[in-house]
This record gives sequence, C-alpha cells and structure tokens, in this order.
Amino acid sequence: MTTIALVGNPNCGKTTLFNQLTGTTAYVGNWPGVTVEKKEGDYHGMRILDLPGIYSLSPYSPEERVARRYILDQQPDLIIDVIDSTNLERSLYLTTQLAELGRPVILALNMTDLLEKNGITIDAKKLSMMFNCPAVQLSASKNRGLEHFDQTIQEALESGKTPACPLFSNLVEQYITPIIADDYLHKLPQGRPMRWAAIKLIEQDELFLSSMPDIPPSTEKLIEQARAALTVMYDDDPEAVIIDQRYKVAEKIRSACQTTIKKEAHFSLDSIATSKYGAIPLFILVMAGVFYFSIQLVGGLTTPLIERFFGFVTARMGSWLSSLGVLSILSGILVDGIIAGVGAVLTFVPQLFVLFLLLSLLEDCGYMARIAFIMDRIMRSIGLSGKSIIPLVIGTGCSVPAIMCSRTIEHQRERELTVIVTPFIPCGAKMPTFALFIGYFFPGKWYIAPLVYFLGILCVVVTGTISQKLDKHKETNAFILELPHYQIPTVKNVWLQTKERITGFIHKAGTIILLASAGIYVLQSFSFALQPADPGASILASIGKVLAPIFKPLGFGSWQATVALLTGIAAKESIVSTLSVTLGTASLSSVFTTSSALSFMAFVLLSTPCVAAQSAMFKELGNNRKKFWGAVCYQMVFAYLVAFLIHMVA
Amino acid sequence: MTKTVGSLSVGETGTVDTIDAPKELKRRLMDMGFTRGVAVKMVKVAPLGDPIEVELRGYNLCLRKAEGEHISLRQTI
Repeated sequence: MTTIALVGNPNCGKTTLFNQLTGTTAYVGNWPGVTVEKKEGDYHGMRILDLPGIYSLSPYSPEERVARRYILDQQPDLIIDVIDSTNLERSLYLTTQLAELGRPVILALNMTDLLEKNGITIDAKKLSMMFNCPAVQLSASKNRGLEHFDQTIQEALESGKTPACPLFSNLVEQYITPIIADDYLHKLPQGRPMRWAAIKLIEQDELFLSSMPDIPPSTEKLIEQARAALTVMYDDDPEAVIIDQRYKVAEKIRSACQTTIKKEAHFSLDSIATSKYGAIPLFILVMAGVFYFSIQLVGGLTTPLIERFFGFVTARMGSWLSSLGVLSILSGILVDGIIAGVGAVLTFVPQLFVLFLLLSLLEDCGYMARIAFIMDRIMRSIGLSGKSIIPLVIGTGCSVPAIMCSRTIEHQRERELTVIVTPFIPCGAKMPTFALFIGYFFPGKWYIAPLVYFLGILCVVVTGTISQKLDKHKETNAFILELPHYQIPTVKNVWLQTKERITGFIHKAGTIILLASAGIYVLQSFSFALQPADPGASILASIGKVLAPIFKPLGFGSWQATVALLTGIAAKESIVSTLSVTLGTASLSSVFTTSSALSFMAFVLLSTPCVAAQSAMFKELGNNRKKFWGAVCYQMVFAYLVAFLIHMVA
Repeated sequence: MTKTVGSLSVGETGTVDTIDAPKELKRRLMDMGFTRGVAVKMVKVAPLGDPIEVELRGYNLCLRKAEGEHISLRQTI
C-alpha cells in the first residue's frame, strides 16, 4: 500500500493539513507538540501519516523518536515536508535532511495566509527548482492552495523523482565523497541512501551506528581522518560542523527565494500576555474567567432546570409504568437505576460544553505556549517544567489528552512527575461529584468550589516539592519552546474539538454509566441468595461492607460511598450516578456529614483517576509497570492521607 | 568574562561564537539555529526573571537562562 508521510517542524500545521486531506478531525492546537503519536488516515486509497513535529532527524524528546524511527525504518513512498512559510530558514534546515533520504518529497509551504502580514514573499518556483521537487504554497487552515494538491501528489508518486541534495562547502564535501565511495557503504541495508549514511558516520550518530553492521578498520580510519580534519578546520566537533553546513545551505536557499519588506512593528498581544507586570494577573484572570463562566454562570443557570426535568421524567415514568403493571424490578431498573444515574451525569452537559469550548479556544489561539513561558520559573521551583502547565490546564477538561501532551517535556523526571500530578487537577468528570456535595452540604458557599481547585494545585505543589527533595541528581534541564503566532481560532476547529469532547462525555453517559447504573440497581435489589432484598442486605451492600472499614477513618465508611468509589474507577461520573441509585430517596446526609463530605470530595479529587487516564499514565511512564504502580500507589496513599487530615480538621 | 545569550540585556543583539554544553543539549541548540555567526537578539525576560525570549533566524524562541549561558557570543551591539 502506498504510504505518504507528513513531516515538519512542530506547530507548522501538519495535523491541520492531515485533517484537510483526509477529512478527519484529529486533535489540533496552536502550540508546539500537540501531536505526540503518529496518526494514520485514508487518502484516496493511500495511507497518509501524520507524524509528531521534529526540528531535525536527531531526536531529542520521545515523540520525536517516534517520527524519526518511522521516517527511517518504514520508508514512506512520499514525504510531504510541511513548512511554516513564516519560518522558512529553520524549516529548510530539516528539508536538507529529508532530501537526503532518497524518497520523493513535496514541499508544502503552509501558512501562506500569514506571509503578507509579515511582509514576506516566497518564490515557490525557485525553491522548487533548487530542491528539484514540487513546492506548493498553501494554507491548510484556510483550505487554500489545495486545489491541485491531489494531482501534485499523484505526479510525485508516479515519477518517483527524488529531490536534489544541496551540497555543503567543498572543504566538507571532500571528506564525504571518499566515505560514500568506500565498499562498506555498498553493504548498506536496503533503502538507506549513501550520502545520508556517510554523513551519519561522520557525525557518529549513535542511533544510526547501532543499526549498522560492524565497521571494518579501513573504513573506520577514513571516518576518523574526516572527523579529525573537520575538527581542526572548524575548531568544533564534526557534528556541529555538519549542522552548521546545513544551516548555511538553508540560509542560502532562503535568501534566494524569500524577500522581506520590513513592516512596521504592529501591536502584539504579547505586550500584555508576557509582560512583566501584566502576564501573571492576566493568566489568573483568564483561568478564573473560564471557570466562572462555565461552572458558575452556565452551570448555575442550567443545572436546576435539567434536574427539574429529570425529576419530572422520573415521576411520570414511574407512575406510567406502574399503571401499566410492569414488574417493579424492571421499572426500578429503568426509573431509579438508569434514568436517575444517567440523568445525574447529563445534568453537567451544558457547563462542560462551555468549559470544553473555552479550553479549545485557549488551545487554538496560541496562548498556551505563553503560559508555559511565564510559568516556567514557578513550575521549575517545584520540580516541573513550564510545559507542565499545558497538561494541567487541559486536565481541567479531561486528564487523558492532558497526560498525553506531557510527552513534549524534554526532561524525563519532569515529564513523569507531570504525568503523576495531572490527575490531581479536577477534570470534568469529577465535577458532578463536587457539585452534588457542594450543592447539598454547602449551599450558597461560593468559595468551596474554587477551594477544590486550589487543593488540587496545592497537592501538585506538595508532590513536586517532595519529589525534588528526594531527587539527588540535580541536573540542568532543557526548556526550549517556540512561541507560535497568535491566531484567531477557526470556528470549524473549535467546534470540532468541543463536539468531540462533549460527545465523548455524553457517549460515556449512554454506555458505561447506563450499564453501571442498571447493574448497581440490580445488585442492590437482590441478596446473594438471589432473593429480592432490602438494599442494606443486598449483594452490593455486602461487597461494599467488606471494603467500607478502610474508609472509616476518613469519615465515610458507608457501603454506598465505598461502592460509589469503586464504580468511579471505571468512570468518575459514575460516582454521582451510583450514589443517586444506591441512596434512592434517602438524602446524602444519611451517609455523610459535613466533614466527611469534604474528605470524600478530597478523596475523589486526588485518588487514582479513571481507567482511561490510568492507561494514558501507563503509556506516558514508558510502559513501565513499576513506575505505573508506584504512581497509582502514591496517588492512593496521598489521597487517603489528605482526606484523613481534612476529616480530622473539619 | 565572555558575554553569553543568557546575559544579554533586553534589546541587545549578539553573534554566536561557541556552544559549550553536553552533547545532546548542544545538538538541540544548534538544531534550533544557534550556529556560529548567527545574530541573536534578546526580546524579553519572563515576568519572574526566567526564562528568556530571543529572536534568531527570523523567529522567536524561549529558553532558560541556564541554557543561554552555554552559548557564548562574539560581539554584542
């Protein structure tokens, strides 16, 4: 099957182009590192791959390794080199490496819509001639310039023409040539282009060397000579010389193809967003605004309405079913199980919709990277990276994508720590639990909800500080981040992201929550002898009672609370649905006190996340079982201790 | 003392001389375009004093001062 790979720098619009070409709706955002995994799509019967962004073919962070491994080992039939037209020189640096791979290449000059504003014009024809491959100017987000793209791809595939490799200075080329001519390179594994291999030998690229047969002494000598000569000539290591040469080539091509008219500096949002005094207040204001608007305003308006609606449906349905003479167990499953359980979760759809919408606006406009920039100092002092802030913000919506985007954090310890603390941030699915308890036990106390968030943040800080104290290797961590251009979020993109997340939530309500609610209702209606029983003597109660003593010190040792926590492992929304099914007409105060309500909320907030988030954690911890179970245990023990403390104090 | 990217003051521009850093970090910094002779302009310092935002090769990049210290400059304007 023909395979096409989209390759390019981070945040140059590969996924946007991917979505345009395949008609799919993969996750895009405006910060470097949204895509951390390769994605496959269908394009006129061909396989098209969206790879994580890379700056060069020498990987630095894990998601870049995914891209490099793919490009080198899988040999795509065509490489579409996606180029950020406003950043031509650095994009061409990668192009010089891709051109050496011996695969057909198309240069997709993306983001042309931003050129005019920056006073740049690019001569695509000239560029195409210099690399001897097609160059297309387009704007994936505006769907411009793609009219003949199909045809360009077809032609490139049919001709199979590989691009020209721009040559380095003669001083360097004289050492590459003899290595290419050496017998050793003729034994190269299939499909490895010789020039590229020769350069990798001079660079002593470890990943490359490990995949090659042993180097005979004569070749070794040749390489050593080249390395020694280059080192002397340039007073730098050979690897640096090669990078320098590539950039020289990129500079030359850029200056031949691009003209820039210096435009007057226009107003940039950065004069507030990253300014000395304005930046942090603005960040706090933005986040507070997001939560106030979605939870307080929209949530406050819609929740009572929807609750009333479900109350009405339950009452009507109940009386209707009993008038029909339906078996009481069946009508119970439907009314007190499914409708009560699913209804309790669906109440949150409007406010989550608004929350998801606002988050995707934030992700799309380019602000996320600025947050990472302004917060890095604070985050570093607790052992995290500025980039950790992105997962933490996204985690207010859902932990799963949040945990995944921790992958761009360069430093392993910072990355793993981010993975462990991200679930401390209350996600949308935990929100119903908090709303239920706050509404019942603390009506009118507006400050409890923000306190939940602050507790989450505090626990991130505490965990970070602990881990930093434990960490004996005080190494310098890299933090290198590109600030993307601000852009006005496109309606289409924001709508698609929001829709995907909210339908995910509704879908869960219609599947997991529905089944769990029905199951819980059945389990609490029968005893082990399969006889109809009081809830207190039911199967569910018996199971709950076994585990309940564990939670006794936290103040909520009832079997209802225990069972709710257990079902919460599948999906956090089901904590509320389970409580509403098991409690039936009894009130929350029959099993919780004010103080145990607080400790219960803290436990739900901090204890290990739902299975979906757990599997994301497992993956981002490098599929390492020990680390994963360590993380889960930590979250559990930590949650237990904090909840215990709160119960003692409150 | 040689001037480094980390010690530039806001608005100042310098020309990259050498990068003295562990292999991986050096490689990454060079991949981002810090090669010998390139002009680097200090654009902004984050509100809390670190990291910094610099301009090079026509684009803006953030890095920590500690990383900037690895890049020494030849001359500054």
